[in-house]
Amino acid sequence: MRRRDNVALGARAIGVAAFVVVIAILPRFLSDFRASEMARVGIFFIALVGLNILTGYTGQISLGHGAFMAVGGYASALLIAGRPGLELAQLEAPDWLPVGDGMRDFWTIPIAALVAGAFGFLVGLPALRLRGLYLALVTFALAVSVPILLREPEKLTGGTNGLNLFGTTEDRLTGAIDNTVHIPVLGKDMTFNDWTYYLAWTVALVGLAIAWLILRGRSGRAFKAIRDSEVAATSSGVSLASYKTLAFAISAAYAGAAGALLTILSTIVTPGSFPVFLSIQLLIGVVIAGLGSLGGLMFGALFLYYLPVGIQELADIGSLPNGLQDAAKSPGMPSVIYGVALILVLFLLPRGAAGFLRRLLIPLTKRL
Amino acid sequence: MRRTSILIGVMAAAFALALPAAHGHETADPGVTGNSILIGGTTPLSGVASAYASVARGAEAYFNYVNARGGVNGRKITYKYLDDQYNASITVQQTRQLVQQDRVFAVYNSLGTEHNLAIRDYLNSVRVPQIFAATGARTFGADFRRYPWTIGYQPSYTGEARIYGRWIQKNRKAARIAILYQNDDYGKELIAGLRRGLGPMKSRIIATQGYEVTATDVQSQVARLKASRANTFMIFGTPRYSIQSFIYANRLGWKPQIFVNSVASASNLMEIASDAGNNKRVNGTISIQFLKDPTDSTRWAGDAGMKLYRQVMKQYLPKGNPNDVFHVYAMASAYTLVEGLRKAGRNPTRSGLMAALASLDSRKNPFLIPGVAIKTGRLDRFPIEQVQLTRWSVNRRGNGRWVRFGPLQRTPG
Repeated sequence: MRRRDNVALGARAIGVAAFVVVIAILPRFLSDFRASEMARVGIFFIALVGLNILTGYTGQISLGHGAFMAVGGYASALLIAGRPGLELAQLEAPDWLPVGDGMRDFWTIPIAALVAGAFGFLVGLPALRLRGLYLALVTFALAVSVPILLREPEKLTGGTNGLNLFGTTEDRLTGAIDNTVHIPVLGKDMTFNDWTYYLAWTVALVGLAIAWLILRGRSGRAFKAIRDSEVAATSSGVSLASYKTLAFAISAAYAGAAGALLTILSTIVTPGSFPVFLSIQLLIGVVIAGLGSLGGLMFGALFLYYLPVGIQELADIGSLPNGLQDAAKSPGMPSVIYGVALILVLFLLPRGAAGFLRRLLIPLTKRL
Repeated sequence: MRRTSILIGVMAAAFALALPAAHGHETADPGVTGNSILIGGTTPLSGVASAYASVARGAEAYFNYVNARGGVNGRKITYKYLDDQYNASITVQQTRQLVQQDRVFAVYNSLGTEHNLAIRDYLNSVRVPQIFAATGARTFGADFRRYPWTIGYQPSYTGEARIYGRWIQKNRKAARIAILYQNDDYGKELIAGLRRGLGPMKSRIIATQGYEVTATDVQSQVARLKASRANTFMIFGTPRYSIQSFIYANRLGWKPQIFVNSVASASNLMEIASDAGNNKRVNGTISIQFLKDPTDSTRWAGDAGMKLYRQVMKQYLPKGNPNDVFHVYAMASAYTLVEGLRKAGRNPTRSGLMAALASLDSRKNPFLIPGVAIKTGRLDRFPIEQVQLTRWSVNRRGNGRWVRFGPLQRTPG
């Protein structure tokens, strides 16, 4: 290996180590509530890792990742509730459905990921025949229809009001306990918000590590080959069918884990929690983070969570001139600011946050 | 030596345990200071349901009006409302923010059925009042035994549709009824209420068509309802779809007696649907009313309540549309909250406020049509239970307005 590669690898290792350390100690510097916000950022992060594998590395656009999150979210909710929980909510599962007798919330995350992954595999099959715009349309159709389909078996999923886990699953759902009660984890007491933070980010870091392992090996090379040229990839012996469906399955599994976490944090799951806009948002997030790179995902996740929150807080800043404050409060303004911010970011960072990071780091490592 | 260190350790641990416990026994509830009361809620300010933003802004304007006149018992009301984009999972997160971060005294005027359902268990478990949930779902008034910290405000959807059913039973014996409904709890609750009101005539419902909240258009549904040869058309949907229904009924040459639910019966919407009088189907439509109609300037010309409404709009919400009836709803609700806070006394507590809201008895609310009382009791958590039937009447120049008829009617949940 050449010296420069070594240096670049070293810089990357230091970056990752620093990232993990910051994630681990961040709650000490944040208020309890900010920790719960960062947990939501973690959910976006997980979904973005998955979407980046599909869109960034394999070149398959998806406007339907909200649908995979919905599948994961409902799978998790049904497993946490189990038959007894559903009965308390005056619902019932058909006999063939293995919902079990209720499961501790965090154990449902890997299962939800598997269920969503299987669903992603099935979606990947027809997607083999479609490219570009047509694939975007098909996945968009998923984003529109899946929440409605999940709502339809009303006896099972609670219809529009969804599954409210609060009160039916006291001991299995961590969020159903009073916020002042502390949750023992490894001999330490944690508030619910800190608990959600560590849960989300543990899943996120494990997911990031798995993604890195997948992408640096044979599969990763195959994904990139498909992205760059399907013809060239096929002629080099890459099976389009298996790798495209694999990418869909992996990507959907990440979204499923994110959906399960959303259920656990919200203590409910409703069809409205996965609007079409969520799917679009995720694609925006992955573009802003930088397609085909894991380095900028944190920025993408922060952007997705904090831009809408920030726009709202704009209206509360007392020192703003009156005209601006009125403008910030007028209906529709949040969407306008969102759009403008999006255009600005894409204009200033055409290759996303990851491209920007690389531009910063390359001159630094070159000098060493 | 060893024993002392253990002893010190135990004492330190006990101290650490005792600290939060001592902290937990505050006498005053969060959100109330010597000169302010902080309340909060969620409303869709962006996204598909952003038309409801007026429900928050109107209330805020009224609080500002009250604050400029000294507030409630010397305290100014601060109302912090967050944009949940009509997404219940965001509602949960933001409500936790209001309770944990902003430490609001109460959650007030949060909007939407599933959104209020999503936070009800949480708020009741941490004993934070959930006041005047902005939804007509029956459960917010009916299930107070299980959820003592929750109270709704407007008449229930069931109660509303029951009045239509009873009126049909009495006045349209030959009715053959077709229903367009939103395919969710709100639409289904209206249907259930209608069936109850129709009693023996419920078999006269000959066609029902649902539409999804995400639908763009209800033309095919209206066409199928017309094909059923019904002569009575119930529109149980939100504004966008009710306007479409009027337009398609007209285009298809269908001439039923139309009923439109109060969610979609604001005058400004009816004017859009009637297309300057060109859409003859709109004339004669029946709905209910419990709020004064801001577009009806002739009826309320000298009315003190509507004068106050216009003054508050002009002074504190100059950019808002004064013809938007959601602003009137918001001010009615804000007015009742102010009444409740006054009643809760000089040093309001959360439980004191809930007790005050469970013993309201007032006919003074200037934003409700005359005679409508705000009345609650130990076993009655529906503040507004009276409405009046109303008919859209178009004059020769093509201008329409709601004309109320018949007596005030009760809408028991």
